Amino acid sequence: MDVLGSLQYLVTGFGVATTPENLFYCLAGAIVGTLVGVLPGLGPIAGIALLIPATFNLNATSAIIMLAGIYYGAMYGGSTTSILLNVPGETASVMTCIDGYQMARKGRAGPALAICAIGSFVAGGLAILGLAFLAPPLAEAALAFGPPEFFSLMVFGFVVLSNVTGGSLIKSLMMAVVGLIIGTIGLDPVSGNPRFTFGQVSLLGGIEFVAVAIGLFGIGEVLVNVEQPAQVLEQGVLLPRFRDLYPTLQDLKQSLSPILRGAAIGFGVGLVPGPAPVIATYASYMVEKRISAHPEEFGHGAIEGVAGPESANNAACQSAFIPLFVLGIPFAPPTAILLGALLIHGVNPGPAMIAEHPQLFWGVVASMYIGNFILLLLNLPFVPLFANILRIPKKVLLPLVILFCLTGMYSVNNFMLDLWVMLGCGALGYLMRRWAYEGAPLLLALVLGPKLEVAFRQSLMISHGDFAIFADRPLSLLFLLATTGFLVLPLFKIAVQSARRRTAAM
Amino acid sequence: MTPAILLLLFGMVTAGLSLQIRIGTLRAPGSGFFPFYLGLLLVVLAAIHLGLLWRGGRSVSGEEVGLLPRGSWQRVLLFLGAMSLATGLLTVLGYPLVAFLLMALLLYILGVRRWLHIVVVALCAAGVSYALFVRWLQIPLPMAGFGL
Repeated sequence: MDVLGSLQYLVTGFGVATTPENLFYCLAGAIVGTLVGVLPGLGPIAGIALLIPATFNLNATSAIIMLAGIYYGAMYGGSTTSILLNVPGETASVMTCIDGYQMARKGRAGPALAICAIGSFVAGGLAILGLAFLAPPLAEAALAFGPPEFFSLMVFGFVVLSNVTGGSLIKSLMMAVVGLIIGTIGLDPVSGNPRFTFGQVSLLGGIEFVAVAIGLFGIGEVLVNVEQPAQVLEQGVLLPRFRDLYPTLQDLKQSLSPILRGAAIGFGVGLVPGPAPVIATYASYMVEKRISAHPEEFGHGAIEGVAGPESANNAACQSAFIPLFVLGIPFAPPTAILLGALLIHGVNPGPAMIAEHPQLFWGVVASMYIGNFILLLLNLPFVPLFANILRIPKKVLLPLVILFCLTGMYSVNNFMLDLWVMLGCGALGYLMRRWAYEGAPLLLALVLGPKLEVAFRQSLMISHGDFAIFADRPLSLLFLLATTGFLVLPLFKIAVQSARRRTAAM
Repeated sequence: MTPAILLLLFGMVTAGLSLQIRIGTLRAPGSGFFPFYLGLLLVVLAAIHLGLLWRGGRSVSGEEVGLLPRGSWQRVLLFLGAMSLATGLLTVLGYPLVAFLLMALLLYILGVRRWLHIVVVALCAAGVSYALFVRWLQIPLPMAGFGL
């Protein structure tokens, strides 16, 4: 598909996205996303999972427009609490805390929030442009992928995700394997035989991934919060005073280059496996600090330290849709949940999706432009209003989140077993946080497990049981070599460190 | 140490149970093939992790001590108990009453002691969620005697 063809489709997409119905769902997604982002403890993963039942009566396009809106809306909302309270609303906003909160302490919360909104809008828009023009040719290229390539790519994804989530590599790998094992419960995707169902008909359909997502990321987070001392739960938060609301011309001038650099970094990082927004914000902050003429101001309220990471965050979140739509392989938990939502609505993402469902793909892409514009309008004047939600004391907020988790979960399938699975995963999520195990690899593995197994078994059937098939195909070999690199790198680092220590001791 | 041992056992049980399903051959892998090797992989990873912990590899271990983590976990257990109770009673008492009771119970566990406060907040929360999920989204939640 050439550029002109993409443009024509994009125009059609705008036709789809601007119907009153889709505009409403785009607005609803943006507002809910902002709320989810503002509330610490309820990230985009739990937010999207909770809202899936609300999309059952909608067509697939409207549903994905709304759920995608929650994802990128949460990125906008997450920055609010980082700046005002030094509490990241979601993990991708951690870097924004550093300089954003310092700006707020100096009475410059308004400009910091405005720059976040403007940066997110510009970077999000640029990334969507990349999505619109890169996804179709990539999808055509991905049509050449066979089972071995898909298998190697997914293994690569797991290992990279496990390597960059911040915790221990081996713990993350174990979580990925546990996710894959849980994913095998139910009917075997190849032969249709039941596995690990213990004669229970209710387990034939497998473990509902939404229950695992809400349990691990919603209830688990609430339980960690419940541990806090009574006086912390008692209070709402005190917001800093807004001395001025809008940035000066000087602020805008200083922020322009970081925004553009952040957009480029975020777009690139979003294409590779891992928690893209988190890595992108970190990389952008480091780049800005390194090339700044006044690096000493970083950490004390440098506006570049807010503009860059926030832009990178949104660009990464938009470009993360490319692997989802093009390969049908989500590289991060929020897009994994979106994959689940697409499957629920009868859409199978992959190389053929853009050709098979052009209305959906281009409608969602166009809605992202509109959603970003809505978020800009919503965030500039109404930020103090959204931040007021934080005045609700935690002792009221936490029970509310639990009630919505239970109700939302039941709504997915009207199935009691899902509630028990969710509660079990909630307890598991709590223990995992306390023991420093990552939930993201488990969830991603659970969603991708059946695809991985099918690709693996098909590859072996094609090759008559010869593992060389994974090395014979150049692309598959490339992914496997990269995977080996990611596995060996930490060992290499440990070896170098211990060698240095030995030398120093001598 | 505890989570690694639990993971090791989980891997062993998975591999053991997979043996009862047909594993097949490399040419034609059966239903038990994939979970069997996943179980083995988990056992190997957990064993490596345990080995590193045993050697005192603090950088790998994070904060792993005892069966239950430190902190005020009694409230966590009460929360989980309240949620389990609500789930168990959902079909018996119906959604509106369970939503109200769950909210009231959780507020009490979190230290709210003014009864009027508890009743008003729980009533509002149950009412809003009923309006949203049952009335607006038409979700067929169990109603028991509240089939309004």
